Amino acid sequence: MTAFRLPFATALLLLAGLPLLATAALALAALLDAAAWRALWEDPHWLRALSLTLWTGLASTALAWWVSAALLAQGFVRQSLGPLLRGLPVMLATPHAALAIGLVFLLAPSGWLLRALSPWLTGFEFPPPWPTTQDPWGLGLIAALTAKEIPFLLWTAATQLQRDDLRQRWRSEHALAQTLGYSPQRAFWRVVWPQLSARLWWPLLAVLAYGLTVVDMALVIGPASPPTLAVLAWQWLQDADLAVNAQGAAAGGVLTLTLLGTALLWRGLQRLHRRGGQRLNGRRGAASTPAGAQPPVGLPASHLLLVGLYGAVLLALAVGSIAGVWPFPRVWPETLTWQAWHRVWDSRSTVGTTLGLALASAALALAWSVAWLELAPRRWDTALRPVLYLSLVLPAVLWVVGLYSLALQWRLEGQWLGLLLAHTAMVLPYVLLALSPAYLGFDARYAQLSASLGHGPWHFLWRIKWPLLRRALAASAAVGFAVSVAQYLPTLYIGAGRFSSVTTEAVNLAAGGQRSLTSAYAGLQFVLPVLAFALAAWLGAPRRFKPAHP
Amino acid sequence: MTLQVHITQLGSAQRVLLQGLRFEVPAGHILTLMGPSGSGKSSVLAAIAGTLGSVAEGAQALHAQASVRLNGEDISLRPTAQRGVGLLFQDALLFAHLTVAENLLFAVPPGPRALRMAQVQQALTEAGLQGYGERDPATLSGGQRARVALMRALLAQPKALLLDEPFSKLDTTLRDQFRAFVFEHIRARQIPAVLVTHDAADVADPDRLMVLNHAG
Repeated sequence: MTAFRLPFATALLLLAGLPLLATAALALAALLDAAAWRALWEDPHWLRALSLTLWTGLASTALAWWVSAALLAQGFVRQSLGPLLRGLPVMLATPHAALAIGLVFLLAPSGWLLRALSPWLTGFEFPPPWPTTQDPWGLGLIAALTAKEIPFLLWTAATQLQRDDLRQRWRSEHALAQTLGYSPQRAFWRVVWPQLSARLWWPLLAVLAYGLTVVDMALVIGPASPPTLAVLAWQWLQDADLAVNAQGAAAGGVLTLTLLGTALLWRGLQRLHRRGGQRLNGRRGAASTPAGAQPPVGLPASHLLLVGLYGAVLLALAVGSIAGVWPFPRVWPETLTWQAWHRVWDSRSTVGTTLGLALASAALALAWSVAWLELAPRRWDTALRPVLYLSLVLPAVLWVVGLYSLALQWRLEGQWLGLLLAHTAMVLPYVLLALSPAYLGFDARYAQLSASLGHGPWHFLWRIKWPLLRRALAASAAVGFAVSVAQYLPTLYIGAGRFSSVTTEAVNLAAGGQRSLTSAYAGLQFVLPVLAFALAAWLGAPRRFKPAHP
Repeated sequence: MTLQVHITQLGSAQRVLLQGLRFEVPAGHILTLMGPSGSGKSSVLAAIAGTLGSVAEGAQALHAQASVRLNGEDISLRPTAQRGVGLLFQDALLFAHLTVAENLLFAVPPGPRALRMAQVQQALTEAGLQGYGERDPATLSGGQRARVALMRALLAQPKALLLDEPFSKLDTTLRDQFRAFVFEHIRARQIPAVLVTHDAADVADPDRLMVLNHAG
């Protein structure tokens, strides 16, 4: 096997690297249009749209980062990381658009929150004319993005914390810092967090990129006039006029530069913070608990709030999908109907497309990632990560421009195969990101041990390594599945309108007034990935042994 | 300064590791704990330092009923950070994100910066590592790392020191040197110490030797 290693790794590299690079190159080529930049510059809305983008993207990223850090600190110190992470797959699996739609149903003037308070508290007999969901300040978008990104950051941190080598070392270092007199909280912030946060740079970049360039969520819950720059770019890309399309690509270019600038700024601020010398002033921190008292156990309140929010969103979608007549301010619908679900059933090819794409792209991405991590020399892997993460960090509005040109050249636009490749390109970085820590952290001595017992490499992979990594493999596949289900732009743009998935249906319906049908699609968008994660949890569950009898 | 330990019972929900262990270590002396793997040697240290919770989680979590007195004061209910008990592990556990000097500085109690830096420099000198302050801990040799770990534990001014097989990963020559280095420092500081080891050559004081036998 070793003789084939490098050729195979090269083939894998070409297989994934070439299309990704070609897509990026074609996307960037679309930016070499001076007229488009001039048109963008003269557009009356783009500067205001850009400032909205900066505000919503940065505010949501910073909020999600801080809350995640605080939750991890609590979880680590109280040794409740397990319970903290247990509900995570469900939150992680929730597509952005479904969360946004559910939030709208909760927060809108006619939403559940106001219904619950009316008329006894507010005195409203009719929904008030408040801009609570598509508010011009982007607060709804910030709330939705933050709620969605916290689970992602927690989960990527968990993939690090679940590595045996790291967990044991950090636990020991944490204990050691306490024997030096540091309080458990401060020991976490001074010793564990600097090492953990350094490993979360790529996930953070993904969160930042997502926050700055999100389209589907911003269409549902973001400001409308003007919208964020990504939505504006998307509207221009869909225009019939080619010149306006080019202007949309240019706006995508602006988003890329914005992302680059903010990422560098964030790095700089982090470095500045590190230089501050605060870390090493020797202050031990006050004891969180007085001597003799039991330290607090259980989960922090902010975590319960997050879980509650997701629960409420899910409930709002479930009830919304079967609500018939539902006058304000009644808390419960007057009539219930399965009509929306009947209509979903009638267009079940939509669900079929979604499932087929998600299964195929997750399987492709997983197979590629395993082969790559197994075969590629570590130096290649490190050097090529930026290429593999291209679709993660390039704004989706610009990325689809490149994908579309590539699909045109390969005559794959509007075809299932083209759609599959587009989805796989989006899914791949997430699967790789999910799988790498566990796969690369696998103790190399097992391989030597297995070989010394006379087993060949395939026997080792099938009998030892992959079974031991079962949990990580299953979870990464589920992540891939969820990412594919949530795709909005590529499905619509590469599918050339010929394919619809539950996500494109849900987002398109959200603009209209059909509460029950929107809820049904958004609910489905939510249920499919959750099922995938449940399946992954079952497949990846550790082996149960008979209890020992002493 | 004297360390008095009385462990009534130590174990997990499933099994009892040891019962009725009692010892006393006067200042500047070193008690050696020996015993086969699984006899609970390291858990005794964790019970004294209050770090039992981070040794194992879930069903294997260990609990101890113990009284630990340092200089007559009962510290067994205090959190680890307030016990004043230093710990030295088998691995040096130098923080990977800090330089050698920063690792030491981390342990120095708060105060004027110049004074704290001076303490760090002195510790480096004592460890024979002048000029190594700015180095990445990963570039040090095993013996150098071990010495930094000891200096770091001592810079926090512990009132007692626990040694959890700190010599076991060093080769024989280094081992003899580092052992002498550790014992010398403990005696010079006049603090009580407890040493856990597998190796009879490590025994500091044959008069203060306890051998644990697996109770289960």
